[in-house]
Amino acid sequence: MSEVIDNTTTKKPARGKDVQRGIWNAQTIAEVRYKAENGKHRIRGCGATRELPTFDDLIILPGQMTRMTIDTYREKCDTRTVLGKRHATKPLVLETPIMIAGMSYGALSREAKIAMAKATAMTGTVISNGEGGLLPEERENSYRQSIQILPSRLGFSRRSLEAADMLEYLVGIGAKPGLSGHLMGAKITEEVAAMRQLPVGIDLHSHPRHGDAFGADDLMVKMDQLRELTNGETPIFIKIAAARVRDDVKIAVKTGVDGIILDGMQGGTGAAPVMASENLGIPTMPALVQAVKTLEEMGVKDEVSLIISGGIRDGADMAKALAIGADAVAIGTGAMVAMGCSVCLNCQAGRCAAGIGTQDPEQRKNLIIDEAAERVANYIRGMTAEAMLLAKAAGKTKLKNLEREDLRSLTLESCAMTGIPLVGSNYTFGTPFGFC
Amino acid sequence: MEFVDAKTLSGKDLNVILKDRLGKGLDVTVKNSHSMHNIGTGMKEKGKIVVDGSTGFYTGGFLEGPSIEVLGDAGWYAGDNMMSGELIIRKNAGCNAGSYLYDGTIVIYGGTGNRPGYGMKGGTLLICGDAGGWAGQMTLGGRLIILGKVAAGLGESIYKGVIYVKDREAESKLGSNCFVDDLTGEEITSLNDLFGKYGVDQEAAELRAVRPMTTGRHNYVLFDPQLEPEKARKYNPFQG
Ligand SMILES: Cc1cc2nc3c(=O)[nH]c(=O)nc-3n(C[C@H](O)[C@H](O)[C@H](O)COP(=O)(O)O)c2cc1C
Repeated sequence: MSEVIDNTTTKKPARGKDVQRGIWNAQTIAEVRYKAENGKHRIRGCGATRELPTFDDLIILPGQMTRMTIDTYREKCDTRTVLGKRHATKPLVLETPIMIAGMSYGALSREAKIAMAKATAMTGTVISNGEGGLLPEERENSYRQSIQILPSRLGFSRRSLEAADMLEYLVGIGAKPGLSGHLMGAKITEEVAAMRQLPVGIDLHSHPRHGDAFGADDLMVKMDQLRELTNGETPIFIKIAAARVRDDVKIAVKTGVDGIILDGMQGGTGAAPVMASENLGIPTMPALVQAVKTLEEMGVKDEVSLIISGGIRDGADMAKALAIGADAVAIGTGAMVAMGCSVCLNCQAGRCAAGIGTQDPEQRKNLIIDEAAERVANYIRGMTAEAMLLAKAAGKTKLKNLEREDLRSLTLESCAMTGIPLVGSNYTFGTPFGFC
Repeated sequence: MEFVDAKTLSGKDLNVILKDRLGKGLDVTVKNSHSMHNIGTGMKEKGKIVVDGSTGFYTGGFLEGPSIEVLGDAGWYAGDNMMSGELIIRKNAGCNAGSYLYDGTIVIYGGTGNRPGYGMKGGTLLICGDAGGWAGQMTLGGRLIILGKVAAGLGESIYKGVIYVKDREAESKLGSNCFVDDLTGEEITSLNDLFGKYGVDQEAAELRAVRPMTTGRHNYVLFDPQLEPEKARKYNPFQG
């Protein structure tokens, strides 16, 4: 530091580019320049880039003298998961509590969608179609298919409901809560446009609000309609971004859903205004805590399934989320990375050499479906194995038996945010969460 | 024609009875509909249902076959996501009639609230009276016909499809991304057939067509904020 301000030294003073300029870092400067040149905000792929609290701020307590541990390599830990059994007569039964989140055909290539669908068949889990309709090949290859009911209803009809093993009534996503779908012109090719009934090459900012339910009261009536249409069989979830989690969860439960997908601020996207990703919503971990607390307060924790997403990377994130009270996790970016995505933040441009976030016929050839499917399936298997390892070390023969008492906070911040006691002191700063 | 008294029935129970009657080839009149929600949800059976009264939300939502005629008013979201068949409303309909209409025909002899035909993708939505604001917003296909007055935001961000209007002031009420155009001969013939079929006394040649533009809001261009220093200069901070 003294090198910078000490003019008496004979050493050459540090130049501007070598000095950390606090808030005026390269990213800030780039954003100012973008606005200066274009007079509008920047749209970018991938979601928030800023530092946010994560599940890394929690650790799992292994069993020692207090409980017996389970053998990592020889003993079982059950991962089978049932979702959506509150009202639906055909709940989902999955082999592992990892869902592939809704990522649209359009944002992603046909090959990427098929590969991920195939991965669900190899691992016994569910994939969501995302905005813009359902590719027949996705449905044909998926183990279980979730169908989104989005405000735009692009590519949606009654046939979509009939194809669904699970429905997601979409209110928002973590990367751009309060905003609608964005798909830039480079990705609206003939094929994508035909499925969505859109003109080719437009920049899509899709419908902002559901045109057939303006609020929660209407949604309650809508739920009856959807139940009737699906013969009461299909689990109906609502997908919300993490915002006023306590209120939103209460209202969602009241509308009569079977489950909630809660997408935290770290959630990925194919395209979103940078402002939205970096500043709207709350991070995944504290959002999950609030959701679980609310469901418990309402006495419906065991009825209403809770799927958490937004920055879930590995078995540790998953194990910690389950310990807090999630029933399953959903992965978006992780599945893309498994296929070869490098998180270049340029998904919106539609130029993806990995053949994932593109509609370019040449680039799409770079993604070999069966290889990519195997990689996603391996990722899901590996993640499941990691979570099992942690659960067994904590003495659990079932993943879902992970509980809050198995967790401790590493930082004061995570302790205050989650109500999970701080390592060492075992004190809780803030409202304790299931601990006395 | 069979009669069903809906006085003590829930919407779901009523629909079970209606399906049963239509399945047996019987047409049905519903009495005492007491503005019940979800009448006729997703029915696939052929035949005719007459509702001798008014209905609540989602009348004929996802309908796929029969003809439903409501002799009174219909609540919000009438004919939402309708797939095929016919929904006829003799009086008025609330907001968002025909939202996400996929196919089939909706005829409203009275007026509607805001956003009729929101995000519709196909089919025909005929409104004989006035329509509220934002009619045909973000439409993806089909035809919306409004014979009464239209309000602001008409055809906002329409992607595909067409809105036919009679209101001479329609041009001043357009949302963005659309323009007013003449009808083709084919359109006139087809609309006159429609009017004839539903006993609507209207000559199609008197209508104008609102059609989509693929520019404007369909490019990533910001329309807001429009910062107008001249207006700020004249603004009186004490009077607003
Ligand atoms: C390329 C891409 C496209 C997406 N498209 C949709 C979509 O169509 N509908 C939706 O609900 N969420 C969409 N999302 C958000 C995901 O469903 C999910 O909420 C998010 O990716 C979870 O965060 P993660 O990526 O950190 O796992 C998309 C995400 C990505 C990365």
